Amino acid sequence: MENVLTIRNLTKRFGRLCAVNNLSLTVDRGQVFGMLGPNGSGKTTTLGMLMGVINPTAGEYLWLGEKPTHHIRKKIGAVLEHPIFYPYLTGRQNLELMAMIKEAPASNIRRVLDLVELTGRENDKYRTYSLGMKQRLAIASAMLGDPAILILDEPTNGLDPMGIAEIRRLIQRIASDGKTIILASHLLDEVQKVCTHFAVLKKGNLIHSGPIDDVGKGAEVVEVSADVSDLDRLLDAFPGLQAVNRQNGCLSVTLKDGFRSQDLNRFLFEKGVVASHLVTKKKNLEQQFLEILGTHSESKTL
Amino acid sequence: MLLHLLRIDLKKMTGYRTFWVVCGLYFLTLGVTSASGMEFLKWLARTFEDFGSKLNINRVPLYHFPDVWLNLIWCSGLLKIVLGVMVVISVTNEYSYRTIRQNIIDGLSRGQFLTSKILTNVLLSLLSLVLITVIGLVTGLIYSPVLTFDRIITDTEFLPLYFLEVFFFLSYAMMLGILINRAGLTIIVLLLSRVIEAVITSHIDDQVPWLIKFFPMQSIWNLIPWPFPRYAFQEIQDWIDPLSVAIVLGWTLLFNWLSYLKLKRSDI
Repeated sequence: MENVLTIRNLTKRFGRLCAVNNLSLTVDRGQVFGMLGPNGSGKTTTLGMLMGVINPTAGEYLWLGEKPTHHIRKKIGAVLEHPIFYPYLTGRQNLELMAMIKEAPASNIRRVLDLVELTGRENDKYRTYSLGMKQRLAIASAMLGDPAILILDEPTNGLDPMGIAEIRRLIQRIASDGKTIILASHLLDEVQKVCTHFAVLKKGNLIHSGPIDDVGKGAEVVEVSADVSDLDRLLDAFPGLQAVNRQNGCLSVTLKDGFRSQDLNRFLFEKGVVASHLVTKKKNLEQQFLEILGTHSESKTL
Repeated sequence: MLLHLLRIDLKKMTGYRTFWVVCGLYFLTLGVTSASGMEFLKWLARTFEDFGSKLNINRVPLYHFPDVWLNLIWCSGLLKIVLGVMVVISVTNEYSYRTIRQNIIDGLSRGQFLTSKILTNVLLSLLSLVLITVIGLVTGLIYSPVLTFDRIITDTEFLPLYFLEVFFFLSYAMMLGILINRAGLTIIVLLLSRVIEAVITSHIDDQVPWLIKFFPMQSIWNLIPWPFPRYAFQEIQDWIDPLSVAIVLGWTLLFNWLSYLKLKRSDI
């Protein structure tokens, strides 16, 4: 697997505040890499350093195995924080200017405008655009140089649910073209739906990094209900039981390591009970994320 | 490559209505005021007549070669402040819209960003120079009673100094914009520079008078001599002082270099 981005011991201090602390990461080709963290955790500062607008205090990073130069940045499409354009220029003029900076062919402009479905409004001034259109123009501008790497920072910030779904579809479409995407967000649902890998930052420290498929590993939770009145007492005898909670009229059973939902089903059947509802609950990223943040703060206090 | 950078900055400016308005006003005012000196003289003569005295306007050869060059250059130099304000707006807009950040993210180096701004300054200074040269030639040819090649080219050595004067001031405006980042404050500092400097120099006038000519605003004042006392039968300096040229050049380089340092070191 080819390394698209390698970060080594990257650190940024603003006076006494340490915004990013000794961060090391790698992103491989083809990954959709989610950067998670609460507001102020250092996501945007990190991306700012990677894109050359913030000077690192210490550490280094390599794009495609090379020391970063402004030439490399032309091959990366990036939108940090919120869309930035000249408000008095039209959407099209803004893209023309960017194409000049990126030294991208002007013929790409039509293609990216079509991609984000802004073709009808291209000749209106940028300041007349709605927030959703501004976000879409930003994604169009990031795609302008036909980049192999895309950096998106909170691309759905402030959008309505339809806009969010639209942007998500767009990201999935771009990812299916084999592009590497780095996506910073605090919307966990969004990251889980589109990312292949993720990292969690907290107060400038990297506290977790790994594939998204790992989410949901560990203790399994099974939701179960049956037409018997003493189901919870019955379950006490189940050897794989770790905990049981009543939730929405069902029992939510946390299993011990090594036990699966089949084991629970077999156990109930042997007791002569047929479950009317049996669902394995996949742990979602939100739970995992809170768990990671939680264990991290515990280990800090210890 | 340089041309490419200039085109990038012009692309930003040509879509900006304020740029056209300010530059249009500047070049219009430059053209109208410098070409209408004769009308002013006629008005002056009429006023004199109303009071019973006579003024022979042919005794004041405003537009005769070679006088026309210094007269035009000195007067047009006063208008450079308008272009300076335009440059401040152009630079501070990049900060307030944060487009400087996006330009760098998109793949300009900080040096290239600055170069694109400097090149626009060069272009504006060149346009001013061309306009003044044309007006000088046209009015000189119309009004001069004697036309010899010698007379026409006398004092044209001040034309490059005019270019330097405008470029010096635009570099100064650009540096202030990059250091201060906010349009209003920058324009106030730009307008008050001369006053602030005058206050300082008046205090050191007694101790170190030789130092005064090294102050930036004073150096630009010394670059091109004030031509009008010659009509009161006084001697004026009609040669170029190499020291004052060197001082102005030094400041110009320093302004651009400081802009570069600031851009290089700051987080954008």
